[in-house]
Amino acid sequence: MIIALIPLLPLAGSIIPFLFSSRSHHAAAAGCVAGVSLILLLAQAPAVFAGQMPIHSWQWIPAIGLNFAFRISGFGFLVACLILGIGLLIILYARYYLSTEDPMGRFYAYLLLFMGSMLGIVLSENLILLMMFWELTSISSFLLIGFWTHRADARQGARMALIITGGGGFAMLAGFILLGHIVGSFELTDILASKEQVQGHHLYAVTLVLILLGAFTKSAQFPFQFWLPHAMAAPTPVSAYLHSATMVKAGVFMLALMFPVLSGSALWFYLVAPVGLVTLVFAAYMAMFKDDLKGLLAYSTVSHLGLITLLLGLGSPLAAVAAVFHLFNHAMFKAGLFMLSGIIDHEAGTRDMNRLSGLWKYMPVTATLTMAGCAAMAGIPMFNGFLSKEMFLAQTLKPNLFGDQAWIIPLGATLASIFAVAYSIRMIHEVFFNGPATDMDKQPHEPSRGMRLPAEILMALCLLVGIFPAVLAGPMVNAAAQSILGPEMPEFTLSLWHGFNLALAMSAIAIIGGIVVFKFRRYLFDSHIWFSRYCDGKAIFETVTDWLIQSGYRLNQAVFNSSLQRYMALLIISVIVLGSSPFWRSETKFLGTATMTAIDPVTFIMGIILILCALATVITHRNRILSIIMLGTVGLIVSLTFSRFSAPDLALTQISVETVTIILLMMALFMLPRNSPKDSSRYRRQRDVLLAGLAGGGAGALAMGILTRPYETISDFFLAQSVPGGGGTNVVNVILVDFRGFDTLGEITVLAIAGLAIYALLHNFEIEAPQTDALGRPWTSDRFPMILANITRPLLPLALLFSAYIFLRGHNEPGGGFIAGLITAAALILQYIASGIVWTRPRLNFDNHIVMAWGLIVALVTGLCSWVFHYPFLTSTFTYVSWPWIGKFELASAIVFDLGVFLVVVGSVMLILVKLGAVNSPDAQTVSTLAQHHPDLEPEKEMF
Amino acid sequence: MNLLLILPILLPMVMAMISVLTGLDRARSGMLAVFGALLHLCASGFLLATVVDHQVLVLWMGNWPAPAGICLVADYLSAAMVLITSVIYLAVMVYSGKEITPHQRRSGYYPLMQFLTAAICGAFLTGDLFNLYVWFELILMASFGIMIMENPGSRLTSAVKYVTMNLLSTVFLIMAIGLIYGLTGTLNMADLHEKVAQVDNTALVTGAALLLMMAFAIKSALFPLFFWLPATYHTLPVPVAAFFAGMLTKVGVYALIRLFTLVFVTDVAVTHTLLMVMAVLTMVSGVAAAASQMDIRRILSFHIISQVGYMVLGLAVFTPLALAGTLVYLIHHIIVKANLFLVSGLIQRATGSFDLKQTGGLYQTHGLLSLGFFIPAFSLAGFPPLSGFWAKLLIIYACLEAGHYFLGATAAVVGLMTVFSMIKIWTEAFWKKKALPVDSPVEPLVDIPFQLMGPVLCLCLLTVLIGVFMEPVLKFALVAGEQLMSPHQYVLAVKGGG
Repeated sequence: MIIALIPLLPLAGSIIPFLFSSRSHHAAAAGCVAGVSLILLLAQAPAVFAGQMPIHSWQWIPAIGLNFAFRISGFGFLVACLILGIGLLIILYARYYLSTEDPMGRFYAYLLLFMGSMLGIVLSENLILLMMFWELTSISSFLLIGFWTHRADARQGARMALIITGGGGFAMLAGFILLGHIVGSFELTDILASKEQVQGHHLYAVTLVLILLGAFTKSAQFPFQFWLPHAMAAPTPVSAYLHSATMVKAGVFMLALMFPVLSGSALWFYLVAPVGLVTLVFAAYMAMFKDDLKGLLAYSTVSHLGLITLLLGLGSPLAAVAAVFHLFNHAMFKAGLFMLSGIIDHEAGTRDMNRLSGLWKYMPVTATLTMAGCAAMAGIPMFNGFLSKEMFLAQTLKPNLFGDQAWIIPLGATLASIFAVAYSIRMIHEVFFNGPATDMDKQPHEPSRGMRLPAEILMALCLLVGIFPAVLAGPMVNAAAQSILGPEMPEFTLSLWHGFNLALAMSAIAIIGGIVVFKFRRYLFDSHIWFSRYCDGKAIFETVTDWLIQSGYRLNQAVFNSSLQRYMALLIISVIVLGSSPFWRSETKFLGTATMTAIDPVTFIMGIILILCALATVITHRNRILSIIMLGTVGLIVSLTFSRFSAPDLALTQISVETVTIILLMMALFMLPRNSPKDSSRYRRQRDVLLAGLAGGGAGALAMGILTRPYETISDFFLAQSVPGGGGTNVVNVILVDFRGFDTLGEITVLAIAGLAIYALLHNFEIEAPQTDALGRPWTSDRFPMILANITRPLLPLALLFSAYIFLRGHNEPGGGFIAGLITAAALILQYIASGIVWTRPRLNFDNHIVMAWGLIVALVTGLCSWVFHYPFLTSTFTYVSWPWIGKFELASAIVFDLGVFLVVVGSVMLILVKLGAVNSPDAQTVSTLAQHHPDLEPEKEMF
Repeated sequence: MNLLLILPILLPMVMAMISVLTGLDRARSGMLAVFGALLHLCASGFLLATVVDHQVLVLWMGNWPAPAGICLVADYLSAAMVLITSVIYLAVMVYSGKEITPHQRRSGYYPLMQFLTAAICGAFLTGDLFNLYVWFELILMASFGIMIMENPGSRLTSAVKYVTMNLLSTVFLIMAIGLIYGLTGTLNMADLHEKVAQVDNTALVTGAALLLMMAFAIKSALFPLFFWLPATYHTLPVPVAAFFAGMLTKVGVYALIRLFTLVFVTDVAVTHTLLMVMAVLTMVSGVAAAASQMDIRRILSFHIISQVGYMVLGLAVFTPLALAGTLVYLIHHIIVKANLFLVSGLIQRATGSFDLKQTGGLYQTHGLLSLGFFIPAFSLAGFPPLSGFWAKLLIIYACLEAGHYFLGATAAVVGLMTVFSMIKIWTEAFWKKKALPVDSPVEPLVDIPFQLMGPVLCLCLLTVLIGVFMEPVLKFALVAGEQLMSPHQYVLAVKGGG
């Protein structure tokens, strides 16, 4: 439990700083949280130094092998100490560094969030858990780099950092999954013990590359080094903490953690060592030319990270020890140096070395501290940096897998050391000496005590560790290395003096060479200009992202050109290609064995007419009236076809739908020009003809394929059950209102909504019908022919009676609610056509919305009634009743449902047609049903 | 108990009737809608709890036996989808209270949304192929009605595109259903599971299956059939866009999952390989198209496409784990995407624009809103400990486990590009200083009313909670995955329960 608290406290505690309003309280709160964590960590020290590894584990998601498990290995302990120790110093430092305008609570919250996540990485026992913390550090780093949100460079730096490290994180996640897949567990203890299994597996190479990608991006190794210098847009405490001492160490931490299981192969060496070497030399070289103090330190950080990577890449146990030791040392001196550069920036107003000079006079303590830090960075004896660098140089001299070219590693190491010395000297020289201080915004002075104290502590430690390494760092490094290497742990002693050897000579060369390079730096600066032009990682990154955006843009232009015609063509092409693909190689015969019905002359002629009219509809489509007449003919032939094949219900329905549709289309035509413009090119028309032909032919062929095969369907059940189960002899109607009444309920809802939608559309559009025809002639005012009006009025009751008849007989004979509804609607509409809206509406004074709504309600309630009798929704019943005079007849609950259908059909059809008709008549607004009752209501209120 | 099954469909329908009858111009219709959504949530919750107890529930409409009648079936997948629908429905209804104009209310906004919810739940619950078609039709009609409710002049172009392409999909759908009925003589999906395997002409079955797949692929906006989506979503009112973005494509994905686990598994080499290809292309093209956009809603729309790719990828990989991943992804994505659209509305309210070039500065002025964007955005991008991390992890895990290394890699790369887009919105709308005041009809809001902020924060909380308490969710999803991979339980419940 205690172990889990170490990372969880800062994570959960990250909200605490929000609770206070004073700056000191923010810092104190953050400090308390970190302090408690540190105490908890140190309480584990006895166990760790005794060589144990406390593990606490809870199951979290066993299905994917994720446990909420933490461990404290020697190595984890060392890094956790750094995180918390340096973290505390940073909290103190930031209190004085940030200005009053900066949101302090937010800063400390993010800092604690980061601290917890970082502790989570180093203390996790489970790889998936580790991955979660890993990504969390990326997020907190993103938020902290962009802390000064108003600065464009901060935003860009944050974005770049997150994309590079986040991308690496995704790769590493995949690597971890593969690793877990190979080992069969995500527990580190299991994984670290299965070196042979992992390295023998055929996925080893992929796994290794993926994990290395994650580590290299996080630790800013070549070629991903460029994000780190740009992350320096963050406030200096963040740079010191995240981007120098801790977070960027997560990558090399990962390498060291995986060292026991992944290293030792040739592939490991060839991947890790060269990357480390290139990073080491390249970044050290780049650091020499940076005028910005933080830029210099950033490249120096990259270079030192490269050094650690190289050490781990070399793969020998002693190299691993050196890597751990250098990680420890670097965190201390580099964090200190960053803080000092922040102090210089804070007190002198700039950190540009071209402007800084002669600060020694004003801030001697800071200068002394900086010199100590630079000495450690350059590897001068008596400082901790010297010790680990010495071990490093000694390791580079060992034979390695480069064989004859092995000399390249010590050469690179020496070169990098020379550069390191040179840039360290340059930093001291240009900031503190180099003539008097001139180009300064304000009078520089020593910083406040609280700001300098963290740096003093760190520099004192650098010096002390440098002089008494065995006492101060020995046990910790020993425990850390022991936990990585296990039984392979080599004998080593940390001491200041190792005697005269080649490594010492290399150190000497480095120091002398560094001084020489510094003296002649002017020549180097000239040659650097062309180099920097071509080796800017950020520019490459921007080019890649720009290319991405551009290609996205081109994709948009090419695909989403918002031409509906084109979209439809693409959709249909896809369907034709995919729909026909299974038949390309099919062995079975396409057509079945069923014999065709013989063709009689009437059917044949009807078929010909159908085809011709369908073709004519398309050909005449630009002349709208003609086209609609052709379409109407098609509909008529279809309904005749239904009667030919003994489906009177369908024929009736089809013919009523046809009537209503044609009326609708005619009304719509009124508002359109008579001819549609010619809008397609010849090529496109040919393409569309081809597509339509293929699609239609394909659909027909599929239907043929199926119709020519014998089949059994559930229709038999319907036929058998219609009378005994549904109480009706008209199977079609029983299917509609009973067997599949649920479908019908859905469909009438669709109809009702369609009515509403069309109504809303017309209502909101406020289209004015044209006052003249296409030639500019006004429409005739003699609108309602007398004969038509006089015939239709007496026709109405007859038509209504007929539809009632159709409705009532529907359950047993062709008919039913749907057809009756259409007939009624047609009869009513006829009145509107014959006598006009102004005459008709006051006489047919009911609100179609309400009719429609009641229809749905009747249908729903019928369904619900069956619940009362403990039957499922829509269960029907029927009985036979005998009344005097009338005789025996049937009462079915389904007929009530059918009534609902009837009402919905009448309501929605009337709603649409009347609304559409009203558009044509300017004075129709005056007689809307509701307007009569509430003359003061605005027209909008008439909805429903 | 089985009656529970119809409640998620009936409740919104009844609520729609009530709100029509009580008068739409009353402000209280909003309150009524929230109340109805709460009831719906309760019913869906009960349904899920019952399904967890009984595995598969079946209700035969009209008490007709199998396979003639229509049945509603709730297994783990359906019940989860219904529950998540009601969550989004509730959030959107609350949000609508402050966002919907009286004009939209009078035009029937609430009843149409209620019908839409009913239809979506119907599609999730039905066990009948034709009934599924009916629900799709209802979804299409209701969504079209909502789309053109206000400013039809500016929305009609996109609405016509939407309705035309979706009608085409409906045509394919009804054709495919006709063919399948002709081949097997049944429409019940459990019955189809057995009958399809018996058809000797596999080419015809596969042809019909592909036709169905295309119909649903249009609905789920898969490559290369996704044109309707980016043409439409950015024109919609915010709560509508949120609901559509959350639910509409997912109904299509659900239908694909249902049919290509339960019915069409006879020719996996063709069907699921095809799904795989489409999924990958969908993921990549969606995310690439988003990269160049500067309108928040367009970016989010394209990301719907790319995320749908992940879900279909899980289906295509076709292992229990992958299907579990798909379910987790569905749940995660619906919450997150609906939330992001709601947030986009708030961004517009606070800055006056949806255009990233004109927004800015919200990080300083609207702390809570920043949080409200940050959580879903980084969840979408797949960062822990949010829901999206697990969703992506499961899909990648399943790909790698099944040996599809390339697919796993693609999923990771697309994830990275999603990060890219989310950061773009974050830096432009929140971090960057606001460039110039925009002349917008909406007065920039300093204080966002709680009624708008509440749903956003609740959905955020849900995202976090799902992330932290992944264990029960995943356990549930794994059972769902098992149910889908071996549908005998489903078939037995339907066929045996007649």
